[in-house]
Amino acid sequence: MSLLEVRGLDITFRSDTLPVTAVSGLDLEIAESEIFGLAGESGCGKSITALSIMGLLPPNASASGSILFKGMDLLTLDKESKRRLRGKEMSMIFQEPMTSLNPVLTIGYQLAEVLFTHLDMSKRDAMDKAVELLKAVRIPSPEIRVKEYPHQMSGGMRQRVMIAMAVACGPSLLIADEPTTALDVTIQAQILELIERLREERKMSILFITHDLGIIAENASRVGIMYAGRLVELADTADIFNDPRHPYTIGLLGSIPKGKGTQLRPIPGNVPRMQDLPEGCKYENRCSYAISACRTAEPFMYKVSEGHFARCIRTDEVRWNS
Amino acid sequence: MELLRVEALKKYFFSGKGFSGPDKVLKAVDGVDFALEKDSVLALVGESGCGKSTLARLVLRLTTPTGGRVFFKGQDVFAMGREELKSFRKSAQIVFQDPFASLNPRRTVYDTISEPLIIHKIGKRQDHKDVVAEILRTVGMGPEVMTRYPHEFSGGQRQRICIARALAVSPEIIVADEPLSALDVSIQAQIINLLMELKKSTGISFLFISHDLRVVHYLSDMVGVMYLGRIVEHAKADDLFARPFHPYTEMLLASAPKISVGDMKKPEGIRVASAGGEAPSPFNIPSGCPFHPRCPKRFGPCDRVVPKLRESEGRLVSCHLWHNPE
Repeated sequence: MSLLEVRGLDITFRSDTLPVTAVSGLDLEIAESEIFGLAGESGCGKSITALSIMGLLPPNASASGSILFKGMDLLTLDKESKRRLRGKEMSMIFQEPMTSLNPVLTIGYQLAEVLFTHLDMSKRDAMDKAVELLKAVRIPSPEIRVKEYPHQMSGGMRQRVMIAMAVACGPSLLIADEPTTALDVTIQAQILELIERLREERKMSILFITHDLGIIAENASRVGIMYAGRLVELADTADIFNDPRHPYTIGLLGSIPKGKGTQLRPIPGNVPRMQDLPEGCKYENRCSYAISACRTAEPFMYKVSEGHFARCIRTDEVRWNS
Repeated sequence: MELLRVEALKKYFFSGKGFSGPDKVLKAVDGVDFALEKDSVLALVGESGCGKSTLARLVLRLTTPTGGRVFFKGQDVFAMGREELKSFRKSAQIVFQDPFASLNPRRTVYDTISEPLIIHKIGKRQDHKDVVAEILRTVGMGPEVMTRYPHEFSGGQRQRICIARALAVSPEIIVADEPLSALDVSIQAQIINLLMELKKSTGISFLFISHDLRVVHYLSDMVGVMYLGRIVEHAKADDLFARPFHPYTEMLLASAPKISVGDMKKPEGIRVASAGGEAPSPFNIPSGCPFHPRCPKRFGPCDRVVPKLRESEGRLVSCHLWHNPE
């Protein structure tokens, strides 16, 4: 059974003029103890999808559809029950470890707070547990670090603290929104290894949001590619990289330099603003496969093979050629 | 021909004067030497705080060095007088990381690109419209954008405008300081292709500052790897990526996620990060080899003797493994 099941998710922002749709008809499932990678360029709706799962949408946004987590629909759940889930059953880490920690509280207190809020621990026990958690995320000399403030730590250390906080109550779902984007590449490798180890030890599912397909290739078991608020391709990681079947996925892969001498094939044009998307397929105006039928109706997700879907009417002809 | 030569360049920043005792010294660039040949791309790579951006600014005389010299076509950049400096400014241009912060929001594209023409008295004023249109064409934009303002453009288009501004004075060298890192991948690829075309068609040399190894491998002829203010390995791009000599280069390459399309294998088990520890603060550079606390291959002399950048099999590397001092 899937741990998380998103069905027909629409997210809309109110604005002074017309409402803006940020996510439209999103379907995805995350199985127990898997890493699901959600990838796409800025503005494609991947972060806002994560926020809607956490119930953290900004006040001018609203979501419809359904988000089933362990059988409960998060979109209809009352505020108080959602608050109890957040931080305990599901938690989230963000891109900016510098701004997600409170600068005036010790990191020990910030870790303990999660524990005495959700698990009814005494403050003293929670502080002891905080040291253990720092040890679990491999922070050297945790007994000393626990009394320090965020500004005394490096970016990589702060992200470790965020991870410790996120896994403190043993959540079944961890949402990681670009957790390594602000970090240097050697530190990124350490954090990715840590996340993978914690997932194995604790049997967590992870929704990993990133723009870096390299991270997806090495860490995720399944992948969803988003464009303009839509999921355009969904497959096992190996299938996405070995046999991409949506022109946008091919465009993304063709944009990544793969050593000298290979041809870079960028996607022409720019990502359109959400207010003026094409009528039919949202990628039609940048797509080299586009035909007139693409302009009239938005395509469904077509089945390519077991577990592999692409939102393209010509997916049978779409192929990667190197 | 040698276009640019940097000798023992140093830039220290001093801070902490007052209550907290004596000055603290941050050694941002600590004795760097390199040369850039005409018609080539030299990339400087390294993690944040390694001094690569400070080095870029030093090379263009946008900041003064603590020691060392920079020569442009044999002329000492820091000893130039008014007139020489003006002509150097015309020959050496820069493109910055953030195209949102490096264009004046109140000036049209025409104003932005024609200003260097006016300053350097290039061509007649009445011809400037045609010149600007021609420059815009080389960066893949039409003449109709001339009357528009920066806010009307996306990040990728703004970066094209920044490149056009740099091209306006027909420079011989462009220093590009992380010109791609604020852009999405599909747009990055467009700009990479543009830079490659420019290199081919104009013969401009590039000093390319980046932390993205994939891009560096694709774009550059030579690569200098920096760690804590020093170059630890300097080699032809192909050699460096085929076989890194310095353990830090090795660590960088191993840390970068790999992508292959068409022949990817499913990852098995946990990929163990090869990297141990974090880079120390540049206020407090370790004794001996600055990299020794993180180095998996350290031995006897590493924590005592500072390795020098020396030749080894056609490249430069500063590591005792390649030149044992004992």
